[in-house]
Amino acid sequence: MIRIDCNAAPTVNMVLTGVGGQGVLTLADMMARAAMFDGHNVRVGEIHGMAQRGGHVTCTVRIGPCATGPIVDPGTAQLILGFEPIETLREIQFVVPEGLVILNSHIQMPVAVSMGQIDYPKHELVLALIRKFTSKVLEFDALDVAKTAGGAGSLNMVLFGAAIASEITPISRSTALRSIHESFPGKFEEVNARAFTIGYSIAKDKLSY
Amino acid sequence: MVRAMDLLQNEPGKKMLLLANEAIARGVLEAGVRLVALYPGTPSSEIGNNLTAMAPHLSNFYFEFSTNEKVAIEVAGAAAVAGVRSLMVCKGPGLNVAADPFLSLAYVGVRAGMVVLVADDPSMWSSQNENDSRFYALMANTPMLEPSDSSEAKSMLLQAYDISEQLELPVMFRTTTRVNHSRSPVELGSIRERPDKVQFVKDPFRFVPIPSVAYKRHPWLLGQMEKALKVSESTPLNFSSGTGSLGIITSGVAYNYAVEALSRMNIEAELLKLGLTNPVPEHMISEFLKRHTTVVVVEELEPFVETQTRRIAQLKRITVDILGKDQGYFPRTYEYTPRIVIEALSKILNRKTSIDWEAIDAKVREIPPLPPRPPLLCPGCPHRATYYAIRAATRGKAIYPSDIGCYTLSIAPPLETADILFDMGSSITTACGIAQVTGQDVVATIGDSTFFASGLPGIVDAVYNKHPICVVILDNRTTAMTGQQPHPGTGLTGMQEKVTPLDIADVCRGLGVQYVRIVRPFDSMVDLVAEVRQMVAWTRERKQPSVLVSREPCAILTAAERSRSEEPLQRYYVDTTECNGCRRCLTRYSCPAMYFDPESGRALIDETLCNMCGSCVAVCPQGAIRKGER
Repeated sequence: MIRIDCNAAPTVNMVLTGVGGQGVLTLADMMARAAMFDGHNVRVGEIHGMAQRGGHVTCTVRIGPCATGPIVDPGTAQLILGFEPIETLREIQFVVPEGLVILNSHIQMPVAVSMGQIDYPKHELVLALIRKFTSKVLEFDALDVAKTAGGAGSLNMVLFGAAIASEITPISRSTALRSIHESFPGKFEEVNARAFTIGYSIAKDKLSY
Repeated sequence: MVRAMDLLQNEPGKKMLLLANEAIARGVLEAGVRLVALYPGTPSSEIGNNLTAMAPHLSNFYFEFSTNEKVAIEVAGAAAVAGVRSLMVCKGPGLNVAADPFLSLAYVGVRAGMVVLVADDPSMWSSQNENDSRFYALMANTPMLEPSDSSEAKSMLLQAYDISEQLELPVMFRTTTRVNHSRSPVELGSIRERPDKVQFVKDPFRFVPIPSVAYKRHPWLLGQMEKALKVSESTPLNFSSGTGSLGIITSGVAYNYAVEALSRMNIEAELLKLGLTNPVPEHMISEFLKRHTTVVVVEELEPFVETQTRRIAQLKRITVDILGKDQGYFPRTYEYTPRIVIEALSKILNRKTSIDWEAIDAKVREIPPLPPRPPLLCPGCPHRATYYAIRAATRGKAIYPSDIGCYTLSIAPPLETADILFDMGSSITTACGIAQVTGQDVVATIGDSTFFASGLPGIVDAVYNKHPICVVILDNRTTAMTGQQPHPGTGLTGMQEKVTPLDIADVCRGLGVQYVRIVRPFDSMVDLVAEVRQMVAWTRERKQPSVLVSREPCAILTAAERSRSEEPLQRYYVDTTECNGCRRCLTRYSCPAMYFDPESGRALIDETLCNMCGSCVAVCPQGAIRKGER
């Protein structure tokens, strides 16, 4: 069990980190809109252009009255949503000491690894390095879950569910589901809602409050 | 994400979560702007994407993706001279392209409001430099506004039009990446009506700056800037808040970081926020300086406000410590963060930071180097096939001038076909210079949109001056890097009207290129290599420019097309009984959809990433890559 402390900070900072095409930007936008719907002040920082071409992508979401700019400083994010192991490690300096890391353990091989230029670090090493910053790491194969829910494209919704289950954000479960309903037309809504729900219950089982 | 149609709602008071670029597109409606012209450039791209989606639904509104930024500012400038509100949008380097007309435009002035929106890119997320465009406002003598978030981006745009009309001057509206690409709540205002056609009233001795006219217009312009100074002193865009012995002057996105730093450090300070930064409010600043013994200036990139502040202190003989970049408290490079401001203030106030960032940095240094994941050409990108052929045909020994677009990513191994780049269109002209002085084979590559934007004068130069260069035009039927905008070769306008496209091969023939051929890069890799070889041989022999148009739609367009169609997918797979694990596909072609499976010792194709172009088939010496059912 990973114990989540009551979040007393005036500003909730989140860093979403992954690979272009995994739905990082979409999730950041949805979380912020859901928080705004619940009456909170929000900021989202994004990177466009070059970063979207299969490269590393990072987004920030900040919720709370003191969120002025979009930037999250190192050591200040209560929640890191990692879409891929080494991309999570790449941004781990942002986590507040003993903040929560939700990590999709499914590896997406960088081209440099495929070309044989560099090895992908062993998973145990990645985890050990992450644990130097926080002991609270919730990891599971979110891509597997997404596929079970009906499509690899719902990976971000699995992580959305897990993030809401952590109760680190002030976003309610019903508002989160409402934002999925509003954002996805037709056939994608059902798959995404299912992915969210499974992600939510996986996290609920592993976290205590 | 917000849909462009949502920005059309006439619901004043409604709150939406918007990117500043979306807020600006909405601001165009609220300001009653009649004409917008721009060439797309990140970080400003979403402004045009939203406007082109809205344009067919609006009456009395014209939007165009102009050929380049110089064209855009001239189209928009003339509309404002004629008497309607207009907007030109560009990225930082885009204003360099438009600088010539911009400076003349200030001399003649405008009859209706005009805004020149320039989006600078500190940290160079998607630019070739991080030039600080604010100096153009000084050089051109135009007022300048700098918003700090989405809400201000919209509200200040409306004020920019009022200031422009009050002073009859174009107003520069300067944003930065972290403003353009951040989302924050924005309250919608009401949509303003746009005028129908207007009459152009002639006044050549104002609008034609022949020397005798310009001679009179320069003093006029300086006079207008004196009036602008009065606006700057009284506008609520420039305001101070808080109290304390410490003074902070700040502008743009850095304002957010200064506010956050003060709150997190629990410091009392008076903060002067400048929204109108040219001309800076001299009286307001001098009074501010007099109230403090130490004033810290917080702004990204160059010491623009800082230098002005020092000038004013000297002019008014005020004794005060003005601290900023000049003493090294703040950097002149890259984006700022709250941390940068907190660390600088801690140093100035001789305090410790509440977070031990040095300890965090030390822990980060313990992490071994991670596999890099830079942006790449997409799976199924036609450029990969073309570059592979160029490299194979020239054995990597030619010089490869590159240009601005996705294809600059060919700089990375294993393609390594980008050797020199200055700006839009420079592939052709740098090729000319290299060919003249080296005698090496030179194969330049340029995209279709970039070709129309800035490639044409280079082709003319090469033809007329007989430069022995090979030019491969990567015609992927869109402006890909900035988000799939149309260009003159696509047959679609910013108004979403279907028109006759300009054919790049015809254009080159029309400009006098003797050797012009068109290839389809996915048809046959062997033929593609032979085409490049033949072209290089022709140029070597004839000592003249040759052009190869490599035509295949962008992979993103192909993928979108396929998701719309119901046709069954033709998947590619690796026959693992044939693959011998030589990795040639990975080390020579490196499509991101392929990876090496360490367990089986075979290369595999990730079906979720593969775009089904099939170009990898020819790369495998074993013939192990197959199409169809396993």
